[in-house]
Amino acid sequence: MFRSGWQPALLLAPALLLLALLTLYPIAYSFVLAFTDAEYQSDALTFVGWANFNTLLNDWFFQQATWNTVRFTVSASVVQVGLGLVLALLFARPFPGRQWFLPLFIYPMMLSTLVCASIWKAWMHYDFGWLNNLFDAVGLSRQPWLSDPALALWSIVLVDTWQWTPMAFLILLAGLQGIPQDIEEAATLEGATPWQQFWHIRLPLLRPYLFLALLLRSIDTFKLFDKVYVLTGGGPAFATETLSLMAYKQGFKFFNLGAASAIAVIMLAIALVLSLAYAWQVMRRPS
Amino acid sequence: MFTKTKMATALLGLAVSVSGVAQAADLVIAGRDDLMGRALEQSVAAYQAEHPDMDIELLKLPYGSLYEKLVIGMREGDSSFDLVMIDDTWATEFMSQGWLAELNEDRVSQDFIPALTDISRYPVGQGPLYSLPVVGNVAMFAYRSDLMDEPETWSDVIAQGTQLHTAERSGVVFRGTQGNPIVTGFLPMLWAYGGNIVDGDGAVNFDSPETVAAIRDFVSLREIAPRGIEVYNSGEVRDAIQQNKAAMAIEVWPSWVPTMDDPELSQVVNQVEIIPPPGEVNASTPMLGVWQMGVSANAENAVAAEDFLAYFTSADNQRELTLSLGLPPTRSSVYSDAEVVDTYRWYPNQLNALRQGAPRPRINAWQELESIMGDYLQLALLGRITPEQAAQQAHQRMAAAL
Repeated sequence: MFRSGWQPALLLAPALLLLALLTLYPIAYSFVLAFTDAEYQSDALTFVGWANFNTLLNDWFFQQATWNTVRFTVSASVVQVGLGLVLALLFARPFPGRQWFLPLFIYPMMLSTLVCASIWKAWMHYDFGWLNNLFDAVGLSRQPWLSDPALALWSIVLVDTWQWTPMAFLILLAGLQGIPQDIEEAATLEGATPWQQFWHIRLPLLRPYLFLALLLRSIDTFKLFDKVYVLTGGGPAFATETLSLMAYKQGFKFFNLGAASAIAVIMLAIALVLSLAYAWQVMRRPS
Repeated sequence: MFTKTKMATALLGLAVSVSGVAQAADLVIAGRDDLMGRALEQSVAAYQAEHPDMDIELLKLPYGSLYEKLVIGMREGDSSFDLVMIDDTWATEFMSQGWLAELNEDRVSQDFIPALTDISRYPVGQGPLYSLPVVGNVAMFAYRSDLMDEPETWSDVIAQGTQLHTAERSGVVFRGTQGNPIVTGFLPMLWAYGGNIVDGDGAVNFDSPETVAAIRDFVSLREIAPRGIEVYNSGEVRDAIQQNKAAMAIEVWPSWVPTMDDPELSQVVNQVEIIPPPGEVNASTPMLGVWQMGVSANAENAVAAEDFLAYFTSADNQRELTLSLGLPPTRSSVYSDAEVVDTYRWYPNQLNALRQGAPRPRINAWQELESIMGDYLQLALLGRITPEQAAQQAHQRMAAAL
């Protein structure tokens, strides 16, 4: 197809150059900044070794933000993929009105996150919110959804689940629809119960899709920023502060580029471990 | 081949013409969104009516985005913006870094409230003028005059608030959200109790018995505040006072309350008095939150920028913006205009507050210090740490940041 060896390289060069400029250079520069005390206004860089990392790792606020981020990532991803699986199983079979319900279920995903968070902030208002009015109506006590440090993070999990479960649902529905009919028909003829069919046929065949959904949701939830920014600002009492929000404040509010880059490097390391673990699960040969 | 060449030429021409349009503005203004954005928009339209050949580009941004864009642009020597709007807490950084051009003093009216033009200078009150005050924001105090007497001290606020607190209506309401909101509510109280964040030399001076006393009383307000106060922001405070859900608001800004006497939006028409915040050990010290505008040091259209700024801050335009939008003016004459006072009956009090007002500390790292203080205040508000620990730990952290 190509007359000489350098032609493919030449064709790839613009894309590779863009990738290097827009992705590799910022990452490399973040690594450099993470080991410096960067004076933003004067552009002066002073090498400080591991000092930024030491300060962060011994800082209660950073530890709290890390713990919040990990709790949010794990709980939101697992709940969303679990609920997505239930919905996908329901929608895998035809039922009356299916074509109407499907767009309804994926509607939250189409909303802008800021709009979604603003709507939920109004719904979760202690005095005037729709949620507490509903609780009143059914005889339950009002809840301080966003102002109780013990509840606030779980309230944000609820909002994220409402918005992004449809994504997991669509991935898993696609997976379910890709399972050959004849396998399930053969299992039915062999006398397998619906539960046995689910456990021994559908679930193993869905495994790559489950991991894909978990991977995508984990990456997205790990960088949680906008919902927290709108709903709680990281409070109350740091109960919902996340690593992204902390990096944003350090970088773009205080212009402490060294500290912000150190947080970004730590986030990158955690995200890399997560991605590699998922990739290993997805790519290993089925037993 | 010929068709392809013609198409490529046409696309190139289009691209050049589009980029030409983008650079052709005679004046580029970067300002806030919301109320201030509407005021800028209205003024740009009026100014353009007088200068029909002038092309003005107005960029309206939220608080955080405006700061980011300006700092990054100014630091890089970018000439994208000619005229910029800045919060008074950013002023020291912008002026000390040489990001704003000196203004022509001869064109500046003596009608501006002196306390506001003082913070438009660097060093404060003495140096050259780098900006003009465009929004006369000052932290005020609101109370229900039909329910209580005017509180003269913060102890009085706590005492009367405790008496008035019921399940339906809280004694007080304030912004409890972590960061800037909780700090701006607390600062007038800190100053009234004799506390300070930095001393005269700019060193952190937060850990003091006065600060501890102020934090202790601030934390006690939570008992007589609405449930969920920890995430209350300006919208919730305004709603609580306007919807008869709170007897006092310890912090209201003039731009939040122009609808207080509007019967369609408020349940407390003519029942709320807006006054400077109470004193305690010290006399009342209202906190200034003035927005300023200055000409970028890299402006390509500096003359046009200064001319528009003169128009925007003229007494006639301020009067128009105040009456139509409720934008707080910065000129004494507008505060004594009969129609303005008739529309906003608290304006004489507001003028007094502006005259007595104090700005937040003039230090470059204010954003970081404010955030640190906000974190510890909220931990104290929720009972996670004692007022003593809040003062001590915030002090240590702020000192390290400085």
